[in-house]
Amino acid sequence: MITAENLTKHYGEKVAVDGVSFTVEPGQVTGFLGPNGAGKSTTMRMILGLDRPTSGRVTVNGKPYVEHRAPLREVGALLEAKAVHTGSSARNHLRALAATHGIGATRVDDVIQMTGLTDVARKRVGGFSLGMGQRLGIAAAMLGDPKTLVLDEPVNGLDPEGVKWVRTMAQYLAREGRTVFISSHLMSEMAITADHLVVIGRGRIITTGSVAEVIAATTTASVRVRSPHAGALATALGALAGASVQGVETGLLQVTGVDAPTIGDLAAAQGLVLHELTPVSASLEEAFMSLTAQSVEYTSEPAGTSTTHAAPTTATAPPGAPPAAPPPPEELDDGDSHKGRHAAASQEGDR
Amino acid sequence: MSATTTTAAGIPSNARVTFAHELTSEWIKFTAVRSTPWILGATVIVMVGIAAISAWSFSFLLDNPEETGGAAALPTDFDFAGQSAVAGYVMAQIVVAVLGVMVITGEYSTGQIRSTLSAVPARLPVLAAKAIVVSVAAFVTGAIGVALGALVTIPLLSRFDYSIDLSNGTTLLTLLGAPLYLVGAGLFALGVGTMLRSTAGGIAIAVVLFFVVPIIWPNLSPDFFQDTSPYLPSLAGARLMEGESADAVLTPWQGYGVMLGWAALSLLGGAVLLKRRDA
Repeated sequence: MITAENLTKHYGEKVAVDGVSFTVEPGQVTGFLGPNGAGKSTTMRMILGLDRPTSGRVTVNGKPYVEHRAPLREVGALLEAKAVHTGSSARNHLRALAATHGIGATRVDDVIQMTGLTDVARKRVGGFSLGMGQRLGIAAAMLGDPKTLVLDEPVNGLDPEGVKWVRTMAQYLAREGRTVFISSHLMSEMAITADHLVVIGRGRIITTGSVAEVIAATTTASVRVRSPHAGALATALGALAGASVQGVETGLLQVTGVDAPTIGDLAAAQGLVLHELTPVSASLEEAFMSLTAQSVEYTSEPAGTSTTHAAPTTATAPPGAPPAAPPPPEELDDGDSHKGRHAAASQEGDR
Repeated sequence: MSATTTTAAGIPSNARVTFAHELTSEWIKFTAVRSTPWILGATVIVMVGIAAISAWSFSFLLDNPEETGGAAALPTDFDFAGQSAVAGYVMAQIVVAVLGVMVITGEYSTGQIRSTLSAVPARLPVLAAKAIVVSVAAFVTGAIGVALGALVTIPLLSRFDYSIDLSNGTTLLTLLGAPLYLVGAGLFALGVGTMLRSTAGGIAIAVVLFFVVPIIWPNLSPDFFQDTSPYLPSLAGARLMEGESADAVLTPWQGYGVMLGWAALSLLGGAVLLKRRDA
């Protein structure tokens, strides 16, 4: 259990974290989502007592981290890739960390095996890839078999197998009743890993809630309707209270405010043929974009477009058509986001 | 890879941070870094090499008293063998100072410090444990360097009937003085490294203070410089190896006390900043 109360951190003039309050509950994976520079890492460093809050406080399992007598038993942390002396071997690094708590070599070898580092355990960390460094960081976090895990961008630099492994591990540890707090700027990853979300932008909490709640609160689900009688159907739907119909292209409508069964019933009643009737749920990525559109630090903004109004329209962009939105900010890893959107949308359907 | 292994085998039920645990951890880190044995080995080699050169030049001096005129300038009871054996401390102190700085700055430059301080969030035990590790390493290295230095010195000076007499208190103090001096230099450097968090800056300050200042300071003309120079950390500490002297402002142990005082100030500064700053 992590509890932050009005947590604030200033670095000189710059406000990195601005009066943040949230609770990370045990038994579920809590995603800490925000664009780069939003204050995720600073918040995590304050949880671990590495940075001193300017004001406010944060406790882990009821006490500030620095007051725990066996901190590695309370919290396992992966703060950044390779927080390790480059001249040391992976095993010696873990031995040294374990020794601070009187934890012996048996446990060290266990976490090495658990994280798949056996083959490189005696090699110098300086030559490790980013992915290996992340695995070593996770091994270090697991050393004390902690009640709480704080992982800052744990899938950064991991291959797909590693990403899946981190996700499975995080969910497994949460099911065991542990508190798991994972930061990411990849909404697609959070959509399938996290149960609960804390969304942060520019040092402030934008929203918290379950993944479904966050999406529902931010974006409107819509229904894609393809029909040769689109015009008549649009007129009929227009008469319904709360419905909003938008013509996307000839024969294709995008309807919000009415669910798919209602549209199907209406079409049948009026004898209108439907070729497609698809509920489109907004993905976490789109929710995230719309939430943080005004709080990303650096945006890549094509001339004449504004990012602030862009996100909602992307939610319903027809397949194959270029998204109406300008490209997302660079840090949001545009390369993965399209794949991620589909993955996130399909996952959302399962929930 | 499996995510199912979460049994906590191998974790003692009373696992927690104690100073003894932290000391073990620092010792593991110290010995795990590949550069450590190289640095310490180089220190011993430098000390032995300089002892040999020193003994050889003394033997040249003693063989040719007329040509050099140098022997006459030395006191009659000058401890040629003992002074040769410890002559390498001047160079060794630089290496030990570099080590003292890097024990902490190496953690800052690599990010290791965040792992270290996450495991021991109280922070000050980390510095205390590092101070002990540096002290032991400096003392043992210095002692080995002096012992091997004495071994190469004795044959070079034996034909002049100079040898190392461990029953002689002055000789013993000289020989013991070098490792003790290195402890002072290492601790001072550790404090500087903790304050600066930068390897380059820390080494620069340690070298200037131990190598450059003691050469320049006493030669500056205002009386202030001459009056204060015995209290410089290096010159004060070196009193250990110079024996009792009527001319000296400080006795050997007073001198060493002053040097340790400097080291304590440096470590205190490091401790305050380590505790207060963000890691």
